[in-house]
Amino acid sequence: MSFPTLPDTFVAKHAAKGWPVGLAGVALVIIGSFMSWSFDRQILGDLSVYGYPGGLQILAIIAALLALALLLMVKGPLYSVMGHWLDAALGLRALSVWLLIYMVGILVAITTESSGLVNIDPGGWVSFVGALLLFAGSRVIPLRELRDLSETKVPGWLEIAGIAVVMAGILFGAAYALAREDAWSFVLFLVFAGGVIAAMFRTGTMTWFSHVATRQKKVLTLAAFAVAFFFPFTQNGSDANMSIATSVLIFAATAMGLNIVVGLAGLLDLGYIAFLGSGAYVAASLSQSAFATIGWKPPFLVVMLVGGLVAATLGLIIGSPTLRVSGDYLAIVTLGFGEIFRFSMFNLDGNNGPNLTNGPNGIPGIPELEIGNFNFGDPHTVLGIELGRFSNYYFVLLLLLGFIILVFSRLNDSRIGRGWIAIREDEKAAEAMGVNVFGLKILAFAVGAFLAGLAGTLKAHQDGAVSPDQYIFLESAFLLAAIVLGGMGTIAGVLIGATLLKLLPEKMRFFSEYRLLLFGLTLVLMMRFRPEGLVASRRRKLEFHEEDEELALAIESELVEEAK
Amino acid sequence: MQQRSVVRVGASLIVASLALTACGSRSNDEGGGSGTTTKTAKIGVIAPLSGDLSALGLGIQHSVELAVKQANDSNAIPGWKLEVDAKDDEAKPDVGKNAATSLSSDKDVIGVVGTLNSSVALQVQPVLAPKNIVQVSPANTNPSLTAGAAWQTDPKRAYPTYFRTCTTDAIQGPVAARYLFEKAKITKVATIHDKKAYGQGLVGTFAAEFKKLGGQVVAAETINPDDSNYQAVISAVKPSAPQAVYYGGEYPNAGPLSQQMKAAGLKVPLMGGDGIYDPKYIALGGKTSEGDLATSVGAPVEALPSAQKFVTDYNAAGFKDPYAAYGGYSFDAANAIIAALKVSLKDAKDVESARKATVDELSKVKFDGVTGAVAFDQYGDTTSKVLTVYKVASGKWATVETATFTG
Amino acid sequence: MDQFLQQLVNGLTLGSLYALIAVGYTVVYGIVQLINFAHGEVFMIGAFGALSTYLLFFDGQTGVWILPIMIIGAMIAAVGTAVLMERVAYRPLRNAPRLAPLITAIGISVFLQELVRVFYDRIPFADFPSAKQRIPFPQLDVVSGTAVQIGDVTVQRSAIFTIGALVVCAILLWYFINRTRLGRGMLAVSQDPDTARLMGINVDRIIVVAFALGAVLAAIAGVSQGLQNNNIDFKMGFIAGLKAFTAAVLGGIGNIQGAVVGGLVLGLVESMATQYVPGQFGGGTWKDVWAFVILILVLVFRPQGLLGARVVDRA
Repeated sequence: MSFPTLPDTFVAKHAAKGWPVGLAGVALVIIGSFMSWSFDRQILGDLSVYGYPGGLQILAIIAALLALALLLMVKGPLYSVMGHWLDAALGLRALSVWLLIYMVGILVAITTESSGLVNIDPGGWVSFVGALLLFAGSRVIPLRELRDLSETKVPGWLEIAGIAVVMAGILFGAAYALAREDAWSFVLFLVFAGGVIAAMFRTGTMTWFSHVATRQKKVLTLAAFAVAFFFPFTQNGSDANMSIATSVLIFAATAMGLNIVVGLAGLLDLGYIAFLGSGAYVAASLSQSAFATIGWKPPFLVVMLVGGLVAATLGLIIGSPTLRVSGDYLAIVTLGFGEIFRFSMFNLDGNNGPNLTNGPNGIPGIPELEIGNFNFGDPHTVLGIELGRFSNYYFVLLLLLGFIILVFSRLNDSRIGRGWIAIREDEKAAEAMGVNVFGLKILAFAVGAFLAGLAGTLKAHQDGAVSPDQYIFLESAFLLAAIVLGGMGTIAGVLIGATLLKLLPEKMRFFSEYRLLLFGLTLVLMMRFRPEGLVASRRRKLEFHEEDEELALAIESELVEEAK
Repeated sequence: MQQRSVVRVGASLIVASLALTACGSRSNDEGGGSGTTTKTAKIGVIAPLSGDLSALGLGIQHSVELAVKQANDSNAIPGWKLEVDAKDDEAKPDVGKNAATSLSSDKDVIGVVGTLNSSVALQVQPVLAPKNIVQVSPANTNPSLTAGAAWQTDPKRAYPTYFRTCTTDAIQGPVAARYLFEKAKITKVATIHDKKAYGQGLVGTFAAEFKKLGGQVVAAETINPDDSNYQAVISAVKPSAPQAVYYGGEYPNAGPLSQQMKAAGLKVPLMGGDGIYDPKYIALGGKTSEGDLATSVGAPVEALPSAQKFVTDYNAAGFKDPYAAYGGYSFDAANAIIAALKVSLKDAKDVESARKATVDELSKVKFDGVTGAVAFDQYGDTTSKVLTVYKVASGKWATVETATFTG
Repeated sequence: MDQFLQQLVNGLTLGSLYALIAVGYTVVYGIVQLINFAHGEVFMIGAFGALSTYLLFFDGQTGVWILPIMIIGAMIAAVGTAVLMERVAYRPLRNAPRLAPLITAIGISVFLQELVRVFYDRIPFADFPSAKQRIPFPQLDVVSGTAVQIGDVTVQRSAIFTIGALVVCAILLWYFINRTRLGRGMLAVSQDPDTARLMGINVDRIIVVAFALGAVLAAIAGVSQGLQNNNIDFKMGFIAGLKAFTAAVLGGIGNIQGAVVGGLVLGLVESMATQYVPGQFGGGTWKDVWAFVILILVLVFRPQGLLGARVVDRA
């Protein structure tokens, strides 16, 4: 966040005042949070009690304590420990800006949720003034020279502990965010989380963390999966959030498959949702549903394989024009293919063509998945915690996502992956160097489609129904957007993109009217200002900022460091 | 904008001091002083509240709200307060299923009124049934929803939780066929439908009855409801020279279809089911929609003495949207659920434990509703088999005849 | 035979509509090698512009003279949208990798649809109906009156309007490109933008003109579709745009005559497929599938299109 800074002379003149003013701000925020913020006790989870802070007030206190820690790093007991390494002043600036946004958000929320400014109680104003003071103070605290973080020598166990803390934070944060029922609380929590993340970036904690991450890759991956695995246990058997979580996983798994096609091989596919659809339709037709049209009822693992293979076959068919068509034209071919798929599913109901798909009504009543004696529809109790229907699907989907990520990363690091990247960068040069361009392109389509087909078979059972209007062009656009927003060709980026795109609309129902409007706008703005996505792979970043010499140098030095 | 009154300041000070003394307890009870606590039960609504069919969906929502408001005002279920939780299904099965999932995971939901579309209901039923949440549809007319996929040969109740207050296509299609053949003396018709459960079912029962009576179905075509140009279909139908076109589907397609049909020189009446019985049909069909026909379930709401009160109350409640074609049925559906709740909730300690009893009670409900006698048969269908034929005359739907279906 | 002639008329009508929109794709592509995926929405906004003009000034009237004013209203709305779109979204991306403009176009497309859907009835000082449902399009006597009968073939007045509009537009377009200074500038830029720039042609201006030109024709198409179908909705641009793009590719993208021929051919294929594809795969519900199959076949086997134009390699 580039915030205009004050002139140096002004900062120098008032430098001494920054620290005490900031401290006063912290104190006021905390004191205010122990008072009542809102007159109306029905809203935002009751912020009207004195001496006993509510959820949003506790967030403010946490933010204030973080600010306190940063202040103490500037001057105080923590200075000797971390002051040389972390940029406390910059972090404080970022944190205070977000805290101010947070407090303004609180005031706006109270004003709009119940009628008028009158509903803000003194505590709200106290905390708001505190945030203002902190903001003012942080602006004049001078910056100083720091030592390079890559020189830090921290024992291995501490690094792993750092990973654990961050992962626990993510788990807790996710569970907390999902538990927010009303949209304002959810948005305000996002602001809080944004503030913490921004502070981590600004202080350099994130840089340190990324160094740690490269050193402790295995631990990090395992920890991430552990977090995902433990998530259902935080939900007390509630299905509402788990149903969102499963749809996020399906979406992420599909987006990851598309990431192979678009992100690695650079082939723009605008009809990708058809592969998910074909998997789902295969599973539905081979299920025990009364509306299923195929008499063969194999066990589910076979169904999965068939679904994947059918999708892969379609992928081969749609991939074959890549021999002659490329670029924008390929995108349009795939779009046309996606529409053909949807129309065919819509039409094949016995009136127009053989009855295969039951037409626009789809195939409802798909029974729950049953593997062995384990019925996915029944709640199960593990370690005294009840896990509902969606949790069961969640675990299977998590396994599938893990498998897809594994395939993705193995392919990415293999000869095939390098071939794809070569094709993406310069097809003619790649061909001249002996890369089997056509074969690799077809392979990308087939692998991507196969993975989406697998996800589709699970989706059919999880949804309990398939119908053509689940597989419209907009869904393909969403998948593409998840990749573009997150960062093409990356794993973390696509996961983040998929999560944001599925989670935000679910939680911001009051915004559903403007959901697509914002979606369109976001795509346009992203392409304009940050085309490489939130988490950019280095190569992408360079591609989109060719003239940026500094960036090229930075990336080069990073690569050199990694090679060591 | 608002002035802070002295009373308010005072109240806030008192509340604040009370809260200070109650320091350390963030209790949940909101009433504070009153002795008896009222428990909340929710009646969900799943209907298209946005999109092409929102005129019908909003009418359903408001009629349910009216019924619930009246029940709360008269304290129909002592100790309980009813709420309406309306969800939009956009007339799409997938969206409807998500709406149902979200309602079924709310432990306060005891029943659902909806859906409008049969195709949506197919996917909502299996979500609500395992949780024993009753679903009463004011508008689903596809026979398989109650009597199973093989309703003609081997009727079997599909879901014990599903009921409806409207008559089915099994009655609506034949009534239309009889009207065209016997009253309008038409022997050659063409059928067109939109392939959705509703349209297909309607055309199926219509064609079967029409052929049985001795008439001739000279062309059978389908359209895609996303289309807005039907020239291709009209050109395919026209050479067979039908005397009328029977359309299975809803007004957003039927209106333009009627207009384009007549502009292309196929000047015969279009007849449809309750899905086209809406003022929007006439707006979309334009001037040439004059003479088009529709059947709709039940007697016209305005004509029944029992319905006068509903119409007055609805208008008095000041809803933004009219009650539309299914207002009366939705009102009756909500009241049927409320009638069952009077028994099932009386001694229940929470909603979840009362769900099963509600299902059982609902099948025994009997009362005189807005649309006539309300009661359900062994499949969950309404026992009333009254239908009305309407015709477009000078830009409005006018009643032609009300018939009770027999056999 | 009557049936064949009837489908011929239907096909030509549909084809004229596609051709009018397709010119917009082709002109823009010819100048900046950009597939303006959001062109379908320009067409949609044109139709809404015409409707708004009618509702604002002539609500309830049916005179002949209203039609030209509605067309002008449609053009203003469409050209405004297209020019703004070029200026705000596409121009900054002119040198970006090829993926960026395409994704931007998808974004614009969704954005414009939603803008109309959500805000059409909230435009201040006008009592517009909600665009969340289909809106009846005004029926003017001159185009919605009794159809012309030639033997057993019915030719609707709106069809005559559409085909006539295409003929007039094609002639004017030919004149504009070959006989005016601006038009020749466009030709020059499409052949070699750098040389054109050196010769003193303002390339930015030419690009804006290309967008505006496409929008003018799309606006006319929007009015025709409204008159033919008797209703418009916010989604109408998506499929129409895709079909028109198919038409442009069919004729050879970048080639204006090609777009017209491509449009007519596509229209004919669709209506003939409805009539003559046998059995269950015929009929109205499969016609879109046949159109897309044609698109894919053309792209694979004859990427330069029927008339052939520029080399199609944008990898």
